[in-house]
Amino acid sequence: MKEFGSVNDILEFAICQEQEAVEFYSDLASKMKIEAMRIVFNQFAQEEMGHKAKLLDIKEKGIYEVSSEIISDLKISDYLVKTPAANDMTYQEALVLAMNKEKSSFKLYLNLSERAPNAELKSLFLMLAQEESKHKLRFEIEYDDMVLKEN
Amino acid sequence: MLDLDIKYLKFKTYLNTYCPYCHQSFNVETKDKKQLVLKAVFKGQETDLILSPYLDVFEVESSIPIETNEVLDDILCPECHKSLISKEICCGECGSPVGHVIISALSRLIPFFICLKKGCEWHGLTKSDERKIKLKIPRQEMPEQDKTLRIHNHQEVPYGYTSELASLEAGRCLQCKAPKCVEGCPVDIDIPAFIKLMRENDFDGAAKKIKERNVLPAVCGRVCPQESQCEAKCILGIKDMPVAIGRLERFVADFERKMDLVKIPVIKNKTNKRIAVVGSGPGGLTVAADMALLGYSVTVFEALHELGGVLTYGIPEFRLPKSIVQFEINYLKELGVRFELNHVIGNILTVDELREHFDAVYIGVGAGLPVFMGVEGESLGNVFSSNEYLTRMNLMKAYRFPEYDTPMPKGNKVVIVGGGNVAMDCARTAIRTGSTEVTIVYRRSRHELPARLEEVHHAEEEGIKFKLLTSPVRYIGTDYNSLKAVECIKMELVEPDSSGRRRPVPIKDSNFIIECDSAIIAIGTGPNPIIFSTSPDLKRNKWGYIDANEKTMETSIPKVYAGGDIVTGSATVILAMGAGRAAANTMHKQLSKK
Repeated sequence: MKEFGSVNDILEFAICQEQEAVEFYSDLASKMKIEAMRIVFNQFAQEEMGHKAKLLDIKEKGIYEVSSEIISDLKISDYLVKTPAANDMTYQEALVLAMNKEKSSFKLYLNLSERAPNAELKSLFLMLAQEESKHKLRFEIEYDDMVLKEN
Repeated sequence: MLDLDIKYLKFKTYLNTYCPYCHQSFNVETKDKKQLVLKAVFKGQETDLILSPYLDVFEVESSIPIETNEVLDDILCPECHKSLISKEICCGECGSPVGHVIISALSRLIPFFICLKKGCEWHGLTKSDERKIKLKIPRQEMPEQDKTLRIHNHQEVPYGYTSELASLEAGRCLQCKAPKCVEGCPVDIDIPAFIKLMRENDFDGAAKKIKERNVLPAVCGRVCPQESQCEAKCILGIKDMPVAIGRLERFVADFERKMDLVKIPVIKNKTNKRIAVVGSGPGGLTVAADMALLGYSVTVFEALHELGGVLTYGIPEFRLPKSIVQFEINYLKELGVRFELNHVIGNILTVDELREHFDAVYIGVGAGLPVFMGVEGESLGNVFSSNEYLTRMNLMKAYRFPEYDTPMPKGNKVVIVGGGNVAMDCARTAIRTGSTEVTIVYRRSRHELPARLEEVHHAEEEGIKFKLLTSPVRYIGTDYNSLKAVECIKMELVEPDSSGRRRPVPIKDSNFIIECDSAIIAIGTGPNPIIFSTSPDLKRNKWGYIDANEKTMETSIPKVYAGGDIVTGSATVILAMGAGRAAANTMHKQLSKK
C-alpha cells in the first residue's frame, strides 16, 4: 500500500481518486443508451468534481476539520449483489454502483487512518472517510426512498 | 286529517321537539339536555320513553331492563297498543298526529323522532344541536365475511352497506359550505352533493352525481385510499372518525348497478377524430370515457387478453371482484369505445404507427416491471415477483388449476417481502390458496407500513404473521436451486435525517433464518421498457418513467400524452384517473382548435 509522508501527499492522492471517479462516471455517461442515464452519470461526475474542488481548496488553504457529526450508515450496499457497469444500466443499478464505489473509498480512507503515522494525518484520513460516507449516504437515501419504497 | 308528507324521511329530516299544531313543547328541559318523553308500553308495562335529541341516550323510566341490541319491536302506544316503531304518534296535549318514532337497533340503540310535517323546519333545536347530534352518530362499519370463512374462498370480504347503514352514514355529513373533502379528491367529485342526494334517499341521483366526475365509482369506492385523500380532509375527522365517503361511493355505485339504473348518455356532437389509448387500466379507461363522451372515436389497446390493467391482473378478487371491473368496462363499450386485446404497443404496433392513424395517443401502460432488492439468491426457484404471482393468480386463475392452464405458485411456508397493499394482496392470496404459514417481512416499523390500515387489519385477522423491522439479506437454495430459507437481519430505526424520515439500519449480528419454500418480493414496480424499445424519442426521466407535463400530460412527442404509473411510478387508481382526466382535457382543447 502507498505510504504517505505528509498532508499534501494524502490530499494529492485523494484528489487523484476524485479525478478518477470523474473520468469513470464521464466515460459511463458517454456510453449510456438512454439520455436520462447520460444525464445521471454526468451529474455523478459533476458531484465528484465538486468533491475534488473541495479537496483542492483544503490543499490550497491548508485548513480542514474533522466534524463530530455522525454520518448514518444505512448499510444498504452491504447486502446488494454487485452489478457490472453496462451501457443499458438502470438508475437502480447506477445507484448500487455508486454506493459500492463510495463504500470502497470510505473503507480505503478508514484503513489509511488506522495506519497513519501521526495524529495530523490520521485526522485528515478520517475527514476524507467522513466525506465519502456522506456521499454514500446520499445514494443510500435515494435507494431507500425509491427502490425500497414499499419495503 | 292533517296534510302530512309521509315520505320516509329518516336522516334527511329534521328533529321536532314540539307539536307544530298546539306548539306545546315535548321537551323536558333537564339541565342542558333537551329530551322528548313519550308514553309507551314496553313488555306489557306502561313506561316513559325518554328520547334525547342527542340520539345516543335512550332510557326507559321503569324497572324494565333493555338488553343490549334488543330489537325494540314491542314498544307500544299506551292508547292504541300499536307499535311505536314507524307508526304515527300524537301530541299528548291536542292529539294531533305529529310524527314517527323509528327505533333502530342496529349496532347500538339509536332512536329517531322524525317530524313528517311537510316543509317542517327545525323546531326547538338549533343548528348547533344538529351538529352535536351528527357528531354523536358513530361511523358505520361495513358488514363483512367472517374471517374463518373468508380464508377458504376468494369472494369479496366486505359486503358493503345496506341502505339503512348508508343513510345513517350519510346523515353524519355536516354539508360544509366550503367542503375540504373535495380538495382531497383527485377527480373533484362533488362529495357533499352526492351525500346530500343520499340523505334524500335519491341513491340513483347520487350515483349519477359521482359519475359526472368518476367513471369507475364501484372500483374507487373499494380500492381508493380515501383515508389519505377525501376522508383525510373531512372536518369530522378532527375530533372523531371522518364520514366514510368511500363506503358511500361504493354503496351508490353498487345500488345503481344492482337496480339496473345505469343510463347510457346520448352523445350528440360526434367528431371524426380518433383517439388511441394504450392500456386499459384506470387512467386509460378515464381518458377513453371522457373522450367518448366528447364525441371522439376511441380505441383502447390492451396488451393482455383481458381488460382492466392492474384492476384485473393486480388486485385480487376478494378486494375487487372482476365482475365489477367488467361492468364498468361494459359501460364504456356502451359509450362506443372499441377495445383491442392482445396488442402490445411497442411490439405489435409502435407509438409512431398509432400517431399515423390517430389524432392523439394516450399512454397509460402502468408500471408493470418487477423491482427486486438486489440481494443474493433472488433468482432461485420459487422466488416470485409480486407481479408474476398476482398475475398468475388473478388473471390466469392459477388457483383453479387444472381447470385453468397456469400452475399455481403455491408454497406451504411463504415469505412476502414488503409492506404495501400489494404485499397484503399476495399474503392474503397465499393464505386463501392453502399456504399454511404466511409471513410478511418489512424493514420498517408498523407505523411506516404503506398499506392501507384496512388491508393490514384484514391480513392480521386472516392469520398473516408480521415480522417488522426485519430485512432479507439472502435467499438460500437447495441443491436444486429451489428456495429453502430466507436469511434476515433485524433492523432499527435511526434518528430522522434532513428529510424527517427515520431510516432503518441493520442491527449487527442479529441475523436469523426463516425457513420457507416460497418467497414473493413485493417492494414496488418499475416501468416496463417494451413501449420504449420502438420509441427512443419518448423522453424519460432517470427512473425510466415518461417525462410528461404535470398539468397537460403532454410528452416529448407531439400528439402523444401519458399519465398514471408510467409517469409517476406506482401510485393509486384515483391518481391515474386524475391524470387521465387532465390528458383528456388537453387533448380536447388542442383537437378543438383544428
